[in-house]
Amino acid sequence: VAVAPLIVGPLALLVVFALIPIGLTLVETLTSETGAFPSVSRYAAFFADGYSRANLLYTIVQTLVSTLTVLTASLIIALQLRFGRGRVSAVIQGLALFPLFVPGIIVAYALIRFLGPNGSLQILLEHVGLTGWFRSPYLTPTGPFLGFVWENLPLPVLILTAGLAQVSGHGVEAARDLGAGIGRILVEIILPQVQRSLLIAFSLTFLSIFGAYTVPYLLGPAAPEMMGVFMQRTYSNLGEPVAAEVQAVLSFLICAVVAAFYVHALTQEQGATEASG
Amino acid sequence: MTDRREVLSLIAGVAVGAMLAPVSVLAADRKILQVYTDGDTNVTDFFANTVLPAFEAAFPDLTFKLTLTRGVANENVTIAERTLAALQTKTDPKADYFEELEPRSVKGGLEAGLFAKLTPANVPNLAMANPASADLDVRLPYRGSQVLIAYDGAKIPTDKAPRTFADLVAWVKANPGRFIYGRPDKGGSGHNFVVRALHEANGRDPSLFRRDNFEPAKAEAAFQKAWVLLREIHPYTYGNGAYPAGNTPTLQLLAQGAVDMISAWSDQALQALKSEVLPATVKLLQFSDLALCGGFAYSAIPANATHLDGALKLANFMMSKEMQTAVVREIGGFPGVTWESLDPALRKEYIDIIPVSIPTFPDGDWSKALNAGWYKNVATNLSQ
Repeated sequence: VAVAPLIVGPLALLVVFALIPIGLTLVETLTSETGAFPSVSRYAAFFADGYSRANLLYTIVQTLVSTLTVLTASLIIALQLRFGRGRVSAVIQGLALFPLFVPGIIVAYALIRFLGPNGSLQILLEHVGLTGWFRSPYLTPTGPFLGFVWENLPLPVLILTAGLAQVSGHGVEAARDLGAGIGRILVEIILPQVQRSLLIAFSLTFLSIFGAYTVPYLLGPAAPEMMGVFMQRTYSNLGEPVAAEVQAVLSFLICAVVAAFYVHALTQEQGATEASG
Repeated sequence: MTDRREVLSLIAGVAVGAMLAPVSVLAADRKILQVYTDGDTNVTDFFANTVLPAFEAAFPDLTFKLTLTRGVANENVTIAERTLAALQTKTDPKADYFEELEPRSVKGGLEAGLFAKLTPANVPNLAMANPASADLDVRLPYRGSQVLIAYDGAKIPTDKAPRTFADLVAWVKANPGRFIYGRPDKGGSGHNFVVRALHEANGRDPSLFRRDNFEPAKAEAAFQKAWVLLREIHPYTYGNGAYPAGNTPTLQLLAQGAVDMISAWSDQALQALKSEVLPATVKLLQFSDLALCGGFAYSAIPANATHLDGALKLANFMMSKEMQTAVVREIGGFPGVTWESLDPALRKEYIDIIPVSIPTFPDGDWSKALNAGWYKNVATNLSQ
């Protein structure tokens, strides 16, 4: 209750700098070229254009594939941190969290130097006799994929490590005593207990990758473009702010669905905590 | 109101002065010009490392603060729009000099008298300006450059290098994956290559494309022929169309030996050769049938500049023999003044890049439509 007067400030910021501009944008995108309101003509134009559709589809696929890879990798790392022992775990933890402190643009340029044509990786491979088959991922969809995985690893590792800390060692040991294999322990004992953490990690990673700009701009192909890059080009190079807003609203809607998962997971968690407390 | 603001700025000035005082007494006495640039690193480095010290040495009462707007919103145009708003509301524009700005791209700017007229009367060195640059008297043509073809001479003998656009198309097809140009909206080296394809497909007549004759239907018909030509080489370019996102990334692919031939800006290629970013075996050539586009980079000064006199002095300084020679030596550009007005030895040294003609292509509608069409018709691997 004592916090109530203080909340006015952040709330006002939210209304003035987020909600009002979003509202204005929605109205603009729902106004046709001839001024009719409401009209979905601008959205129809987006979906009538094969190139725009391809960009949207590419963004969704690129984001899903990258997110699921990030989740799988970070789950493996988190499991090692939770159940592994000794110095190896400490080293892995350090390595996994390292990208948290490296800005995206640095990652992009480092990956260009490392994975680019005639870059460090190709030279290393050629030194050990592996020549001919290497095809640099730079300027292909694999480029941003690798950038995303690298850049987005730390946060899910932290979330899942926290989630796994709540999994009791006794349950796992009991299952192991009864002869359950690693796969079975994972699926039946561990995963059900970290479902919420997984959902939160999925949502945050998805949202961060979907709206990415630097990594796909520097590492990705000219076409198709991810929505962030496409929006920027539509806005400043093509000089079509409303078309860019339509792209933004569509991106926002997709992200809103994922954000709903996130909010659902959070409220579920709160409910659970209150019930147990 | 005004009094109060003056008092406040005086207080601020004293406070800033007090902070600077221990460092440099002289610095506090200089008027600070606000200079905006959206140029690439070669240009911004040139201003920070060469122009600024020379300018301060020549004018003890002046200095400038360089603000980089590259990649932010619409770059210098956005600052010019703010300056126009300041002109209309009669407030301080906090802008004195645009290192590079096309005054026509500021909507309503020319009509409102936003830009100071620049003539030999207020910028005496403009008397030496290259006549090819004269077009609009609010622009200062202080340097020029042209797109050309850069290739690795170690892999391609000089007599085998393509000298016409048709030769280049044949070479690209015969050497899959060894040529690339950049995305046309991300840098002039890619843009002017696409423009050259447009010229090639439309009778090599640059005069067909003028600032005042854009019509969507006519443009579409002309573009279609260019798309056919560019689609023809698309599968033979590096990575089946892995077009890099800018002038520098394109140069890097040549520097790394990933490709043997690219389109590049003359100034960036020369500077990269000088700094050994490009291997010394890299050679430059210009097409003999019709050159790739180039042009002058124009500076502009707002008529409501906070320090108009100082800005005009900077303009005159940029057109001086000293700075024009530096433009050639430091950034591999060609001068805004005539070559005759510079040292004859310099002219001899750079004879290979001194252009015979400089075709141009209008920015604005033509360029926007060309760039947009390229993404949909050339870059994408969607079925047509």
